[in-house]
Amino acid sequence: MRWLFSFLAFALLGAVQALSYAGSRLLVILEDKAEREKYSVLLEDLSSRGFHTTVESPKAGKLSLFRHGERAYDHVILLPTKSKGLGPALTANQFLDFMKKEGNVIVALSSDHATPTSVQSMLLELDVHIPSAKGDVVVDHFNYDSKSAADKHDVLLLPFPKAIRPDVKNYFAGEGLIAVPRAVGQTLGNESPLIEPVLRAPSTAYSYNPKDEADAVEDPFATGEQLNIVSAMQAHNSARLTVVGSAELLQNKWFSEKATLNGQAVKTANRDFVQKLTSWTFKETGVLKMGKLLHYHDEGVSKKLNTSLAISEHNPKIYRIKEDVAFQVEISEYENDHLAPFFPTDNDAIQLEFSMLSPFHRLNLTPISQTANSTIFGVSFRTPDQHGIFNFRIDYRRPFLTNIDEKRQVTVRHFAHDEWPRSWQISGAWVWIGGIWVTVIGWVAFVALWLYSAPTEKSVKKTQ
Amino acid sequence: MRLLRSFVPSLLLSSAAIVSAASSWSFEDATVAVQAKGAGVGAGAKDKLSPTSPLSKYVSLGSADTLKLQLTTVDGKKAARPHQAFLTLTDPTTGVEESFIFNINDSGKGSVNLAHKDLPHQFLTSAKPIPASIVIGSFGSSTPYKSKVFDFDLARDPNVPLAVPEKPLRYAAEKEIHHIFRDDPRSPPKIITLVFAVAVVAALPALFIVWVTLGANASHLGKALGNAPVSHILFFGSIMAMEGIFFLYYTSWNLFQTLPAALAVGFVAYISGSRALSEVQERRLAGLR
Repeated sequence: MRWLFSFLAFALLGAVQALSYAGSRLLVILEDKAEREKYSVLLEDLSSRGFHTTVESPKAGKLSLFRHGERAYDHVILLPTKSKGLGPALTANQFLDFMKKEGNVIVALSSDHATPTSVQSMLLELDVHIPSAKGDVVVDHFNYDSKSAADKHDVLLLPFPKAIRPDVKNYFAGEGLIAVPRAVGQTLGNESPLIEPVLRAPSTAYSYNPKDEADAVEDPFATGEQLNIVSAMQAHNSARLTVVGSAELLQNKWFSEKATLNGQAVKTANRDFVQKLTSWTFKETGVLKMGKLLHYHDEGVSKKLNTSLAISEHNPKIYRIKEDVAFQVEISEYENDHLAPFFPTDNDAIQLEFSMLSPFHRLNLTPISQTANSTIFGVSFRTPDQHGIFNFRIDYRRPFLTNIDEKRQVTVRHFAHDEWPRSWQISGAWVWIGGIWVTVIGWVAFVALWLYSAPTEKSVKKTQ
Repeated sequence: MRLLRSFVPSLLLSSAAIVSAASSWSFEDATVAVQAKGAGVGAGAKDKLSPTSPLSKYVSLGSADTLKLQLTTVDGKKAARPHQAFLTLTDPTTGVEESFIFNINDSGKGSVNLAHKDLPHQFLTSAKPIPASIVIGSFGSSTPYKSKVFDFDLARDPNVPLAVPEKPLRYAAEKEIHHIFRDDPRSPPKIITLVFAVAVVAALPALFIVWVTLGANASHLGKALGNAPVSHILFFGSIMAMEGIFFLYYTSWNLFQTLPAALAVGFVAYISGSRALSEVQERRLAGLR
């Protein structure tokens, strides 16, 4: 019975073309069923990528992110709602618990709607700050769509984001311009390494509240590139949260819309950007998987050639100090629907730490070979001249990539008594070795002399 | 991207050329003044700023100075109040950006004051001068204005400590660590070792020569072997064998191989030794020794 079931499960898995690495159950929280049409292309794109979408209103009685204490969905998209309260099923704590169980969340904000209090406090918890008042909007008098926002300048046309650092992979690159209508800007706290900007506002943009009576902006929420249109958070357990400042960015209307930027007719590329954004958030990209991890005593080329057993024991529990060790690890990256070899960027490296309390060695791993769906990274080093309990540790945390933290504990022992160099190999000992031989020969000669020597005539015999 | 690159210069060009811009934002009567602390109002250098070309010299701001930038914003030729009037500083090395907002009244006259305490620490510690741009823009169809107007030279008083917050944690490749091994134990130069080794070994022939000069001989060997051949051969042999066992222990044997052999040889030495030494005693009692 069980084999039949697993066979069926396999058949079902095979039927779906592409799947997120983290599961396919997607919950879209949408208050107004009529609004569903506005997001239909996004939802179709998602289901064509293998997601099983459930659209629920926050007011639905049976709505819950959990069932029997486990996640009921793998991913959640929260679209703006009219009401400020989301109800007891969608509190900030519920969202955080959902992420603690490795669920992924996209939160879409809109300046036309008040941000729900639960979302506000959740974002605050994560050190993502949004304007507290309803209606704050990001405007830019330089990069706006003069077709749809000739006067208000609140539909921004922005190029695809560049990599945030030269050593970080860019999962959101693309060609064209992204239309960002009526966005709620976010600022990010500086302390946390877990939050990263995805799409920044241009340097001339600022966020202000149109309800302010003043003719000129006096106290904007934030200005320039400190404003983020889209920001992302990846927790220690690799759960992902993306804050999309403009929910309209996800709507059909802007997926491939004609727009005008400074007199030039352009076409928006929101569909491409949203596809990249959702596939990153829902773990279709940027997911690392560690395969086989191998370490062994490297006995050198000469020894390998001479023995039929070329490689010594794999992953031994014990090493000696000052021993040559080879280390290999297989790492793959999930790309939409398959595992592919992973390569870090040029300025980045996967590092191996050989540590007891603190690292004694921290070495960059280099790709030594490659299989169909993984890269094998390796490094050779010599165990330190300190015995104790050590760890082989790979702690690879980078923005936009899931974390790898692997430890293998080994003992590093001291030299055994018969592993030291022999005394005659130490030139300083020759004097002492000579002394011993002189004593040995002298002793044997003395015994012979004492046993067999006859008194000489010259010697005076003492009378007792 | 290509599109963006192509329109940026044209944008700058259009904003720079005020003559042609019937409805583009710009500014007039702009002055930048740096006022030292304690100096009277109006004291200190005053420079006129041009919307078309940046100031050729650096504007230096000491740690106790205040910078005052005054301007009148114009839409086309007419003084007007824009929605956005920023003085934007950008650190060329880190990319840190900060905008300061002009207080502009209805007639377009505006000013901004800057002192060291207003600036983020990245600007104060930057090695390069900080470019300052003026951004003027508003709703509607008027072309916005953005252009660099001068370079900041932030002269920081090295005696005044600057509170630079600790760099926050960012996930990136860390510096490699290679364990530094302790030095291997070293021997003294071989020549010195050899001199002393030769001296030690030379003691043995010296001992033999002294013995020979004192009349050492083996004349009783025949007598001893004649009296107690078996015990003498065994006794002397077992003493040699014991040294041999020690040699094997030194080179290859372990203690568990050594001990039984040493016991066996020791037993032989004990038994044969008592006989052989009795023979020696007999010789002594016979007055031969």
